[in-house]
Amino acid sequence: MTLTNATFAIERLLNASPGRVFAAYSSLEAKSAWFKAPSDIETLDRDFDFRVGGKERFHARWPSGMTTDFDATYHDIVQDERIILVYDMFHNGAKLSVSLLSVELKSEGDRTRLIHTEQGCYLTGGDEAVRSREHGTTWHIDNLVALMEGREARAFA
Amino acid sequence: MANLDTVFHGLADPTRRAVITRLAGGPAAVSELAAPHKMALPSFLKHLKVLEEAGLVKSRKLGRVRTCALEIDAMAQVERWITDRKRFWEQQYDQLEAYLASTALEEKTDDSH
Repeated sequence: MTLTNATFAIERLLNASPGRVFAAYSSLEAKSAWFKAPSDIETLDRDFDFRVGGKERFHARWPSGMTTDFDATYHDIVQDERIILVYDMFHNGAKLSVSLLSVELKSEGDRTRLIHTEQGCYLTGGDEAVRSREHGTTWHIDNLVALMEGREARAFA
Repeated sequence: MANLDTVFHGLADPTRRAVITRLAGGPAAVSELAAPHKMALPSFLKHLKVLEEAGLVKSRKLGRVRTCALEIDAMAQVERWITDRKRFWEQQYDQLEAYLASTALEEKTDDSH
């Protein structure tokens, strides 16, 4: 088992006010309209308690048979401004990561810049590691070298 | 423990990248790795040490020959995990944008925000 710490960020400029973006997070009805799997999945468990200390869970089985479990606790909520949560992610019952996720909403004219920053502890070395090894190491090395040399990385497939 | 910062430091040098590229083709002896590089062996060994400390390369001694191999499974897994996570959230945010567009009309009629 290996523990690795890593951070990544995603930014989006959304065509809506911070109030509307925040509203899309704050009720189960609104959140279910967009926070969902794109394909046919079977929902095994769904909890939604949007308040500091409240929990959100989305446990589902995919057509492939794989189960994913998103298990979150809200740590900070400021209306129209930010949401901070910590979530565990499980694949087939095995814990893959523990992440601290902040979503910041910044007004830009009549739009909203959403900044998603995720700091994760990634647990590797179980079944996932075996599957990952089948991907081979060459892709990884090629891309790291490409990135360092300012070339385009190949898509991961 | 693998760490992305030490990995990027490990790769932030053309000599070390050349070693990684060579090792991606299979394990090699230190002398073989050093041969293409125009530098004294101690300097080359310092580069190898950086790669070992970054967890990218593992070396072991077989008789009188020290052989190096790539040791990046953990990093490959993390890279994959981050790629998957980012893809997941990008997809969710695409859906958020579509949802906001579909409800935009409601806001115009209800200006309470």
